[in-house]
Amino acid sequence: MSTQQVSLRSKPRSRSYYIGAAAFLVLGFCLASALYIATVQVDYVWRWNRVPQYFFYKDREEVRADIPGEIKGLSAEGEHRRILLKGPEGENEFVVPAHGLRVAKGDLISAGDVLAVQERWKPGLLMQGLWLTIKVSIIATVFGVLIGLFAGIARVSANPFFRWAAVTYVEIIRGSPLLVQIFIWYFVLGTLINSILSKYGIEQISPLWYGVASMATFAGAYVAEIVRAGIQSIHRGQNEAARSLGMSYAQAMVHVILPQAIRRILPPLAGEFISLIKDSSLLGIIAIRELTKATREVVTTSLQAFELWFVCALLYLVLTFTLSMCVKYLERRMVA
Amino acid sequence: MIDVRNVYKTFWLPQEVKALVDVSVAIAAGEVVVVIGPSGSGKSTLLRCLNRLETADDGHIFIEGIDVLDPRTDINKVRAEVGMVFQSFNLFPHKTVLDNITLAQRVVRKRSRGDARQRAEKLLKKVGIQEKAKAYPDQLSGGQQQRVAIARALAMDPKVMLFDEPTSALDPEMIGEVLEVMKNLAAEGMTMVVVTHEMGFAREVADRVVFMDGGAIVEIGTPEHFFTSPAHERTKLFLSQILK
Repeated sequence: MSTQQVSLRSKPRSRSYYIGAAAFLVLGFCLASALYIATVQVDYVWRWNRVPQYFFYKDREEVRADIPGEIKGLSAEGEHRRILLKGPEGENEFVVPAHGLRVAKGDLISAGDVLAVQERWKPGLLMQGLWLTIKVSIIATVFGVLIGLFAGIARVSANPFFRWAAVTYVEIIRGSPLLVQIFIWYFVLGTLINSILSKYGIEQISPLWYGVASMATFAGAYVAEIVRAGIQSIHRGQNEAARSLGMSYAQAMVHVILPQAIRRILPPLAGEFISLIKDSSLLGIIAIRELTKATREVVTTSLQAFELWFVCALLYLVLTFTLSMCVKYLERRMVA
Repeated sequence: MIDVRNVYKTFWLPQEVKALVDVSVAIAAGEVVVVIGPSGSGKSTLLRCLNRLETADDGHIFIEGIDVLDPRTDINKVRAEVGMVFQSFNLFPHKTVLDNITLAQRVVRKRSRGDARQRAEKLLKKVGIQEKAKAYPDQLSGGQQQRVAIARALAMDPKVMLFDEPTSALDPEMIGEVLEVMKNLAAEGMTMVVVTHEMGFAREVADRVVFMDGGAIVEIGTPEHFFTSPAHERTKLFLSQILK
């Protein structure tokens, strides 16, 4: 592999190569300029400096006295100060950062007075959305792979119950839009399940889990096809050899067929994970504040639509690109 | 030991082929039977019907008195007693040679890891490749792979061994080492059914030779009878072609 790369790099490049590369750069530059000129035409003011606050922002939190009294003690604890407040209604202690301290020993305090100001970095909406997107994708992938593995094995079963059930599941899921499936999970199944739960006084299930369920069942159908193809790509002789030794269908599957199939399906499986990340952008419609929905909310408050949608796309790109790099690595290792 | 009575088998895909037509043969314990015949004559199908890798359409197959074709028979129990060696070895590529041989012992025979390993090492020594225990199948030559496959089948302590053209996929210089292992096995008194084109092996090792053509058994006889005075025209023609 590496020797091939070296030889490719040392090969002298033709003139058409440089012309093509230059044309590519010019095209990119032209598109970017066109976009910029267009935004200037409509007097759009780019404010990239306003974007970072939606990732992380400094939260100002005021620590207030809950009782009236006098500051009796003020002891240092590293970077923090311990305030001892004593009054007629009792006493209380506060630990606050030293630099935000607003009182001194002996001060008389009424209830509600500010004792200190704490500043803390907090994740902004975009960061929360990004994290939720990652979380939903990971959970949905785990369940999707489990469902898909089971459905894929059922798909190649000789038993019509399993085979037909798997075929029906795969065809229904693959033949209808994900958006509609999300609606069905949330507005139909979700309403039914939550109504029944509330009837028996059990806690409601949050939209997040209906979203995860719709993503998992959706991905499961595609994973099932990947698993089926993986199993069928294993030479028939492997199964025959295992069965001729007296292994049952299940034993041959577990010990001989699946271990080999899984090596082959890992790369396409990771590809399925990538499309799942992108598809999770639909979950905003059932009030799950993943990355796309979070971006939309930030756009409504900040009115910096252009910057934020580019940032949103870029964040997805970072997620998917990282993953596809992992897939490439996996594929290379499989070949080796 | 093995009793095949009036067995029929027809394949419908991709087109209708009568693979077995009224095949009957009885094989005694300790006997080595070599099945020969032109390609497409049904000899492999017959072999694969014996452990129900193919299900015969009609007739009866008994192995040690157990009806193989009866749906109530636990076929996995029968198969555990019937070792099979394939033309294309079919070793498990994701497992080492040792694990190839211990897998079924542990899963089917429920032997402990240590027992299975001991048995495997003994068999690897027997087939002459104990030094390859830790290797993976694709690191071995064809002849070595086939010897591992034989060891894998023997590890189950089968009562019968079926060989489906075990040397047909081998380079010529590796055929000898596999046949040598099979000869030793025959000498130990193993019951064997061997589908092969190795006439030398048939002449030297077989107790009986079965000649098949067009899905039917044309002639059964001792090697002497077979190679010196075959009764049927079809047999003579085949032998004249193959012994040219």
